[in-house]
Amino acid sequence: MRRAIPAIVATAVGFVLVWQYEPTMSTEQVALPSPNTVPALPPGSATQQPMPGTDSPGQARTVDGSAERNRHGVVQVQVTFTGQKITDVTFLQLPNSGPSRMAGPRLVQETLQAQSADVETVSGATQTSESYIKSLQSAIDAKGA
Amino acid sequence: MAITAVRQLMGLPISVDLRDGTQREADMVFDWLHEVDLRFSPFRLDSEVTRLDEGRIGAEEISADLLHVLALCETYELRSGGAFKAKLPGRQLDPNAVVKGWAVQRAADLLRAAGLRRFCINAGGDVVTAGEPTDGEPWRVGIRHPDDSQRVCAVVGIRDGAVATSAAYERGNHIIDGRTGLPAFGLLSMTVYAPDLTTADATATAAFAMGIDGPEWAAQQPGCLVHAVDSNHRVFRSPELPVLS
Repeated sequence: MRRAIPAIVATAVGFVLVWQYEPTMSTEQVALPSPNTVPALPPGSATQQPMPGTDSPGQARTVDGSAERNRHGVVQVQVTFTGQKITDVTFLQLPNSGPSRMAGPRLVQETLQAQSADVETVSGATQTSESYIKSLQSAIDAKGA
Repeated sequence: MAITAVRQLMGLPISVDLRDGTQREADMVFDWLHEVDLRFSPFRLDSEVTRLDEGRIGAEEISADLLHVLALCETYELRSGGAFKAKLPGRQLDPNAVVKGWAVQRAADLLRAAGLRRFCINAGGDVVTAGEPTDGEPWRVGIRHPDDSQRVCAVVGIRDGAVATSAAYERGNHIIDGRTGLPAFGLLSMTVYAPDLTTADATATAAFAMGIDGPEWAAQQPGCLVHAVDSNHRVFRSPELPVLS
């Protein structure tokens, strides 16, 4: 149990580092945390290894990760390998708005509630099957044009 | 001297709750919205909007009402940085997002001009209210829970005002972000409370199209208070929103 605590801390630190990472910082050399500390990065992209034997040691080579969409947007990294070592990671795509930006100066954050309150009327995006069919048809028409 | 009536118009269920009115005033609302549907529907071959879109009438021949609606569309396109667009590439001109709010607000104005002071119109989830349903009490307007059509996630108490919600839970992700041409994402539900429904509806639609930047943007629009649910099921709202316990 005690050994788990440093791992959790490392995970949290790794996540914060990745989250606060700005594309403008991408020219700096950064060390890539081990994959399990970076929840925003999909496995198989940042950790992609170059084909063994194709690179002579000391020669830098870049590999683009796949573009992965998480709940905040698209994340795509570019990894620079020198031989078998990762020497640089830059973000090709990064969501420009994190959770902290949502709660701007004018808004407060709350948890979502579900109530069965007594109300006179309800506001919502109520649509009918009729409008759905019309919308679908218009999309089909637009595609055919 | 009180009546509740529902009619299917503009492809939407429209309910009219008149606490100091009669069927005659309810019919006035329905007649007006039927007229709007004939004139502004992009799905009708002979509507003014379709004729303009197909070049069968010129921009200088359109009615003052359509000119007003198109000016509103342009205003919200500019304010939202292009996230809201009435004319998307490869698609028909569709000013519906603005038309509905504007038309229902106009219906409320007609009721007021006829002397009514206590009423509520709900047009497919967009709400405009006047006065109080009973003495000393505001209209209690629920905000639909994004995952459950039978429940609400908040209740606001309003008198003279309007509440509009833009969301993707009914027809899937049908609102397009005009900046990318792709379906808007980031929000499950975007609700705006404003003094009038024209403002509330257009602001809610534009903010939903903007995605995660929408709530903060909407809260900066004059007279607007917001309640937003993001795709992570977190609520962001204006602290001044008149939420009932």
